[in-house]
Amino acid sequence: MLFRSAAVSCGGEKVGAIIEVEGLTKVYARGIVAVKEVTFAVEEGEIFGFLGPNGAGKSTTIMMLTTLIKPTAGRAFVAGFDVVREPGRVRLCIGYVSQELAVDDNLSGRDNLFLQAGFYHLPRGEARARCDELLKMMGLYERADDLVETYSGGMRKRLDIACGLIHRPKVLFLDEPTVGLDTQTRHQIWGYIKALREKYGMTIFMTTHYMEEADALCDRIAIIDRGVIKAVGAPAALKDRLGGDVVTLRFKEAPAEKIREAVAALEGLAGVRGVKHQDGDCFIVARGGGELIPQIFQVLQPLGVGVERVTLKRPSLDDVYLYYTGRELRDETGSKEEAMRARMLMRRVRGA
Amino acid sequence: MTVLSDIYYVCWREMKRFWQHKPRILVVVFQPLVWLVLMGNMMSGLTSNPFASRMLGVERYIDFMTPGVMIMTALFGGIFSGVSLLWDRRIGFLSKMLVAPVSRVAIPVGKMLATAMQGAIQVAVIALVALFLGVKFKTGLGGFLCLLFIAALFCFAMAGVSLSVAIWVKTIEGLHPILNFFTMPMVFSSNAIFPEAAMPSWLRVVSAWNPLSYAVTAMRALIVEGWAWGKILSGLMVTLLFAFAMVLVATCQFKRSLG
Ligand SMILES: Nc1ncnc2c1ncn2[C@@H]1O[C@H](COP(=O)(O)OP(=O)(O)OP(=O)(O)O)[C@@H](O)[C@H]1O
Ligand SMILES: [Mg+2]
Repeated sequence: MLFRSAAVSCGGEKVGAIIEVEGLTKVYARGIVAVKEVTFAVEEGEIFGFLGPNGAGKSTTIMMLTTLIKPTAGRAFVAGFDVVREPGRVRLCIGYVSQELAVDDNLSGRDNLFLQAGFYHLPRGEARARCDELLKMMGLYERADDLVETYSGGMRKRLDIACGLIHRPKVLFLDEPTVGLDTQTRHQIWGYIKALREKYGMTIFMTTHYMEEADALCDRIAIIDRGVIKAVGAPAALKDRLGGDVVTLRFKEAPAEKIREAVAALEGLAGVRGVKHQDGDCFIVARGGGELIPQIFQVLQPLGVGVERVTLKRPSLDDVYLYYTGRELRDETGSKEEAMRARMLMRRVRGA
Repeated sequence: MTVLSDIYYVCWREMKRFWQHKPRILVVVFQPLVWLVLMGNMMSGLTSNPFASRMLGVERYIDFMTPGVMIMTALFGGIFSGVSLLWDRRIGFLSKMLVAPVSRVAIPVGKMLATAMQGAIQVAVIALVALFLGVKFKTGLGGFLCLLFIAALFCFAMAGVSLSVAIWVKTIEGLHPILNFFTMPMVFSSNAIFPEAAMPSWLRVVSAWNPLSYAVTAMRALIVEGWAWGKILSGLMVTLLFAFAMVLVATCQFKRSLG
């Protein structure tokens, strides 16, 4: 991988990859290896997802990329700047929405945003204009002057995301943007994330442990477990690696040799990778199972083999995820303060 | 100077939170009222004893008590400043500030400044209540402003103490008992509520090392004695030094905690 020198990269104009990470490692106190020699690159304008179970090292990676903690080893460049040597320049290019709901409950929504604008040294007039714009975009304009205390979990999250956008960052880091939210709110947040990329061409780096979220949003995902990247690729490509769709047929009563003929004919179809007949059920592994079904009927009809039932199962990202990370739940090590933070988050998400 | 702008915004937030919290405003007004009226009345018998009156150096106990209540308010106002930092860390707001290009110095200093301003507001309320109860300010408005400055500066320094301890203790649950442990001895080893003349000699030595004694002596001089420059200047100098030291300690501690 090529690293650009700091001199060339002014806000990342000549950038191929807007995030470049090589051998990034974080070892916490007591020798806990949270992230282990992680290497990847994110292209400009991409939505890149980190998918992994609790304690996989997702937040730790984000915190290293956002200059909040220093890596133990390895290098990382964001928008062309080294996160260790030029943290100040990195900070100007990035927005960060943490896993916690980091909004101030004792201020109004507008004040939260205005404060954030102040932290980025925006002039007052500009700050006010952008606050209004973001409040409208996030559907919070009517409630802008109410205390955040009175907001629902979804409203707080939207406000938190708005805070991360006030300085129009090139790269937005979203750490578990929908954790604890109900389905409607989650879909709403997905809509906002997609819109950001479409409208502003923003690069988005997000983490999640919801498979369907990664599937719906991300151009590419990396599956991370115990601090190690297990697989990187587009969701479809990752699913493909597991084989393909599975079409299950149940034949009507028919003589055995007819069924054998039918199976042989099915094996001959384009895209079919394997056919297995077992106890009257016929499993067909293939690419593009949906398109295959009409062809199956075309082949079976002249043979006189009837079909009682058809089911199609696409491998979900679930299967991919479980394949790479295993099934068992993880014990988590962490300090008491971390546990308090997690409890606090759940309370705040529920809008208590 | 972006540092100043950052301090401004950190401070702005704390002040907004202060005004937003209505019950707190009630406490701000009523607490000193209760203290002054209760303590002032309870102990008013003291000054009818000529010996005690001479020891206190005032004719009415409430004159002696007013600067004591003021400095205790500044102390209690300052000492819980650290909680807000730990709270910010717990809810993730601290990370939000740290990801933004906010000067690292501005975070503790902004909080200290806001605490000092809140302390000054409370002290001003006490002054109003005291005026109402018949306390006469010998040095007038100028002296009052000088007194307010010393009290605010002391509050600022105590906020620094609190922040430094908070960064060291790391949890809100751990911070409270330590701060409580701090405050009472600090009050009782000073001449805030008892005159130095009434102290055993060992306590007088402790009191001489307690910055609170200097601040309250200067404030008391401004109320009951007049422009007693020796006391006022030494109070001002000690409090300034204390405040300056605490800015250094708190900012160093804070920067170090970020790794
Ligand atoms: N400050 C810390 N000190 C010590 N260990 C830590 C610290 N922060 C995280 N860890 C440990 O590092 C590992 C990775 O944690 P991290 O928070 O990055 O996981 P995550 O993938 O974000 O998990 P989650 O989905 O629960 O948010 C965990 O084992 C965690 O206990
Ligand atoms: Mg996490």
